[in-house]
Amino acid sequence: MRGSFVLFFKEGGGGGSLIGKVLSDILVCPLSKQPLRHCQDSQSLVSDAIGVSFPIVNGIPCLVPKDGKLLEDQAELKGDDSALAVSES
Amino acid sequence: MLISGSKTPTNWLSCNVVSARTSSSLPLHALPTGRLPAFFVSSPPRPGNNQIRSSAERQALFNSIAKVYDNLNDLLSLGQHRTWKRMCISWSGAKTGDRVLDLCCGSGDLAFLLSQKVGPTGEVLGLDFSREQLSIASRRQEFYWKACYKNIEWIEGDALDLPFSDSYFDAITIGYGLRNLVDRQKAMHEIYRVLKPGSKVSILDFNKSTSSLINKFQEWIIDNVVVPAAASYGLSQEYKYLKSSIAEFLTGKELEKLAEEAGFSKAKHYEIGGGLMGNLVATR
Repeated sequence: MRGSFVLFFKEGGGGGSLIGKVLSDILVCPLSKQPLRHCQDSQSLVSDAIGVSFPIVNGIPCLVPKDGKLLEDQAELKGDDSALAVSES
Repeated sequence: MLISGSKTPTNWLSCNVVSARTSSSLPLHALPTGRLPAFFVSSPPRPGNNQIRSSAERQALFNSIAKVYDNLNDLLSLGQHRTWKRMCISWSGAKTGDRVLDLCCGSGDLAFLLSQKVGPTGEVLGLDFSREQLSIASRRQEFYWKACYKNIEWIEGDALDLPFSDSYFDAITIGYGLRNLVDRQKAMHEIYRVLKPGSKVSILDFNKSTSSLINKFQEWIIDNVVVPAAASYGLSQEYKYLKSSIAEFLTGKELEKLAEEAGFSKAKHYEIGGGLMGNLVATR
């Protein structure tokens, strides 16, 4: 229901984890177009498809491909050349 | 309208912090007199002929002008940009309850208009690659608080790689953004992908006219009004970019062709603002 979209909208602060949950319903990975998973601990949106996480800064998700960071424990990446363009951590 | 105020074009004449604060924009838009933004000073020298080609350079440009962007828009168009933006929204077909995207949203002018159009039951997503512009958009959202503005979410993203599923939006708008994208074809393909069948994208921008009279007039305005005004904010280099940017842009007919090649079933370009501005409307 759209009510939940409105309820969880807030800029940063205590609403941070809830924002992420709603956003992960709306957004997909900009490169693979697969669903994203919200990671509460790191306040980021994770694309399991390509093993990259995208940060949420001040309540604004940063989904520019070069903003992505490779997941440290990712054993292998799916073959997508764009994933190599992610920034160094 | 929220972004308007009782601002008059004479604000820029005494361009210091105090006069910038008397405008309806947030005080954080003001730049200290005579001092360039630190970012501009430390950025690498640009190629001599105002060619700002790469995506990173454009991102840097929009980050650096973010704070005065709204003030300059009002000044340079004598407030007319608001009318053009309303027309852009109208052409998009956005209505109550819709889920809409404002691409290259910048500081949020079109997003705020869309928010009122779709109402509390609708959803507005504003996407831009400039963190500075989004930061301003987000602060305006709080400052000019209206109940319906709760329906806006800001996203930092790349217009060439949209983080949305296929057939997701009921309408898409772009205000003065398409011209600044390094790969317009890819952008149109992405827009097509995320639009619901039958829905429209409404793209407002400068018009690259086929009339040499209008072109000359446009160039004259940029050289003699826009750049000097930007110079008073220490941003003349950034705004000199505008002239070559328009020259490299597409004419109305070329834009219609671009849309058709991307798969849109219908595409029509309208000239407005005396031929200085244009709005492309394409239907998926």
